[in-house]
Amino acid sequence: MTVLDEPVRTRTRWSGLTSGQGLVGVIIVGVIALAGIFAPLLAPYDPLEQISGANLLAPNADHWLGTDQVNRDVLSRVLYGIRIDLEIAFVAVPIGAIIGGLVGLVSTLHPAADTAAQRIFDVVLAFPALILAITLAAIIGPGAFTVGVVIVLAELPIFGRLIRTSVLKVREQPYVEAAEVIGAGKLFVLRTHVLPNSLEPIGVQVALSLSLAVFVESAMSFIGIGVRPPEPSLGSIISDSIPNLDINAAFAVGPLVVVALLVLGFLLIAQGIGRERRS
Amino acid sequence: MTLLKIEDLTIAFGTAAPVVDGVSIGVDDGEIVALVGESGSGKSLTARTILGLLPDGADATGSVTLGDTQLIGANEALLGSVRGVRAAMIFQEPQTALNPVQKIGWQITQALQAHGRISKSEARSRAIELLELVEIPDAASRVDWYPHQLSGGQKQRVVIALALSGEPDLLIADEPTTALDVTVQAEILDLLQRLRKTRGTAILLITHNMGVVAEIADSVVVMREGRVLERQPVDRLFSDPSHQYTRDLLDAVPRLHEVRDRLHEKGSTEVLRLSDVSVVYPGRFGAASFTAIEGVDLTLSAGEVVGLVGESGSGKTTLGRLALGLVPATTGRVELLGATVGHLRASELRALRRGVALVHQDPAASLDPRRSVGQSIGEPLVVHKVATGAEVRSRTKQLLESVRLPADFVDRRPSELSGGQRQRVALARALALSPKLLVADEPTSALDVSVQAHVLELFAELREEFGFACLFVSHDLAVVDSVADRVVVLRRGTVVEEGRAAEVFRNPHHEYTRHLIESAPAAPVRAG
Repeated sequence: MTVLDEPVRTRTRWSGLTSGQGLVGVIIVGVIALAGIFAPLLAPYDPLEQISGANLLAPNADHWLGTDQVNRDVLSRVLYGIRIDLEIAFVAVPIGAIIGGLVGLVSTLHPAADTAAQRIFDVVLAFPALILAITLAAIIGPGAFTVGVVIVLAELPIFGRLIRTSVLKVREQPYVEAAEVIGAGKLFVLRTHVLPNSLEPIGVQVALSLSLAVFVESAMSFIGIGVRPPEPSLGSIISDSIPNLDINAAFAVGPLVVVALLVLGFLLIAQGIGRERRS
Repeated sequence: MTLLKIEDLTIAFGTAAPVVDGVSIGVDDGEIVALVGESGSGKSLTARTILGLLPDGADATGSVTLGDTQLIGANEALLGSVRGVRAAMIFQEPQTALNPVQKIGWQITQALQAHGRISKSEARSRAIELLELVEIPDAASRVDWYPHQLSGGQKQRVVIALALSGEPDLLIADEPTTALDVTVQAEILDLLQRLRKTRGTAILLITHNMGVVAEIADSVVVMREGRVLERQPVDRLFSDPSHQYTRDLLDAVPRLHEVRDRLHEKGSTEVLRLSDVSVVYPGRFGAASFTAIEGVDLTLSAGEVVGLVGESGSGKTTLGRLALGLVPATTGRVELLGATVGHLRASELRALRRGVALVHQDPAASLDPRRSVGQSIGEPLVVHKVATGAEVRSRTKQLLESVRLPADFVDRRPSELSGGQRQRVALARALALSPKLLVADEPTSALDVSVQAHVLELFAELREEFGFACLFVSHDLAVVDSVADRVVVLRRGTVVEEGRAAEVFRNPHHEYTRHLIESAPAAPVRAG
C-alpha cells in the first residue's frame, strides 16, 4: 500500500549559526576570542611592562593603539583584557545557568519548593545589578572573582524562570502523556522527554547572558570594583583612558570597540539561534 | 453573470515549483462554488489571492477579476476598496478571528466605520441588524457581549456578520465549519444557504469535507497539487466523477449506513469495567465545580471495539483518560484488566499500563520532536525492560513494517514525516507491547480523508493481527460506524444511548442520537 501524503522538509540543528546574522555573530566573537586566546603570541609587549620614555604616546608603528599613563602598550593590554573578560564570562554564565536551571527544575516538582524559589528570585531581581555588585564588592572585596559571583547571581533568576516555564509547558505536551501511559516512571519521563525539550530555549539565553556578562565586567572594572589593577581588563583599560582622552584618544577607542563588538556578536548569535527555533 | 473570474492563476514561492499552477475558476452571481482538495492542494492560496492576502514571498501571475477589477498586481488602495466591501472572508477558527477583549458590537462598528462614514448610533443599530441577520437571538442585548460569552457556533455567526458588514457580493469561506460540532455545523451551513437566497451573495467555499459540499454547493472544483482536476455541478460530481482522483477521494469518505457484515467474536473476559463513575473538576477561585462525567457504566470485553461519540464537552475524551487512570474517578469504580484503578500504588499502576495504550488526535504533538521514530516506538520496550539494545531496534523495525512503513524510517525524526506517517508511528508505539486495551482519541480527525481511509484500513488489519480491545473516541459518526462493534453516545457527561453500532446508527432511540445523525453532512453514495 502506498502512503499518499508527502513528508515535510527537514532542517539541521545548527543552521541558525551557519548563515545570516548568526554567522556574522559567530565570526565577530570567534575573531575576538582567538585574539584573546593567542594574546601571548600576538601581543607585541608584556601587558604589565613599563616602557621607558613611552608615556601616553599616540598610535604609531611600534604601539598601534599608543601607550598609557604608566608607559604600557595599550594593544597588548587590550589583547590580555579580552582574555580575562572571556574567561570570566565563559565560566560564570554556565555556572549561573546550571545552578539557576537546577533551582528552576526543582521548583517545578513541588508547590512549596516553587514558592521558595520564586521568592528568592524576586529578592535577587529586586536589586539593580550595580547595587548588587557594589554590595558584594564591599563584603568580599573587589576582584575578578567578585565579578564572576555578581554575574552568577544576576543570571540565577533568569535561567531559573526560563527553565521553570519551559518545563511546565513541556510537561503538558501530549508526548509526555503518551510516555506516562506507556508506564514510564517520573524520572524516565523527566530525563528522556521533559529535560531535553525544556533546554531548547537555553541557547538563546546563554548568548544573551554572555553579552550581559561582558557588559557587567566592563562596568564593574570601570568603577573600580572589578578586576584589580595592574591586571588588564576591558573595563579597567577604559577607566584608565578617561583622564587621558585629550592626549591619546586611541587609548579608549580600542577597548570600547572590542566591548561593543563582543556584545553585538553575542546578540547576533542569540538572534540567529532564536530565528532558527521559530522557523 | 460572472462575478469572479480566475484565469490561469499561478502562484510560486521564489524559484521553487509553483504551488498553484494554471488554475481557472469562475463564480457567478449568487452561486455557491466549493473548492475541495486535501492539504497542500493550493485551495486556500487560490482563495486568498482574491483579497490580496498571499504570504510574503509568494508571487502570483495570471488574472483574477472581480466584476471588472483586476486584482493581480493591484495596489493596497485598490485592494482596500475591495476587501470587506466587494469580497469578504470568513475564517476557520472563530475563536481567533474575534478580538477577545472587545465587545462584539464594537468589532462590527469598527468594520462599518472602515467601509464609510457612519454615525455612532447608526453603526450600533446596523450592528444589531447584522446580528439579527445571522440569527443571533436577542441581538439588541448581545451586541454588548464579549466573544467569550458566546458559544462556538454563535462566534462563527458573529464572524459572518462581520463579513457581511460591507455588503459584499462574494463571501470567501475558508473551512468555516471545520472547528465546529456537527449539529452546529448544520446550522451554520443553513445560515449560509439562507444568506445566499435572501441577499444573492455568491460564496466561494473552501473545504475538505465532501459532506459539506453535498449539502450546500452548486458546483464543485476539485484541486490537487495546485491544479484543477475537474469542475462539475454538484450532482454530477457525486454521480459521475470524471477523474480517478475524485473517485478515490469520494470512496475514501466514510459513510453511515454502509452495509457491513463484521461481527467480532466477543471475548468473555472483561478488559475494562466502569461502574457508576463520575468525574468532577473542583471549582477554583470561586468558580462552580464542573461535572465532566456523571454516573457512567461501561464494560469492554477483550477484542471488542467500542465507539464513544458525542460533541465537544460531552466528556468523551475524559472518559478515555479515565479508563487509562490518567484522570482519577471522583466517585465509582474503574476496573482495568482486573485491577481497581485508584487503589493502586504508582508502581502497580505503571506495571498495569503495560497492557494499555493511547493514540492521540494530533500525531505531531504526541511524538517527542527530539527523538527518532525508532526511539519513540521502542520506548515501551525499554521502559518495561522487555528488550535491550539491538533487540529493541529489530523489534522496532518489525513494528514499522506492521504499520506499513519502511523499516529504514527508524532513524528519522517526526518532523521528517507526513501527518499520516506520524499517526502510523504513534500506532506502532501503542502496539509495541501488544496491549489488551487501546484508547484511540480522535485518531484520524487531524488527517485528510484519503489518509484517514488508509489509517482506518490499517486499524482494521492491526485489530485482526493484535486482537486488542479498543475505546475509539470520535466526533465523526461515520468513522465510528466503520470501526466500532458497539457505540456509546455521550451528552454532557452522561450516556444517552448505547448498543450495537448497526442498531444505534440505523435505528436510534434517543432524540439526541437522531439529531446527531441528521446533522452529519453526508456525501451521496456514488452509483455503481
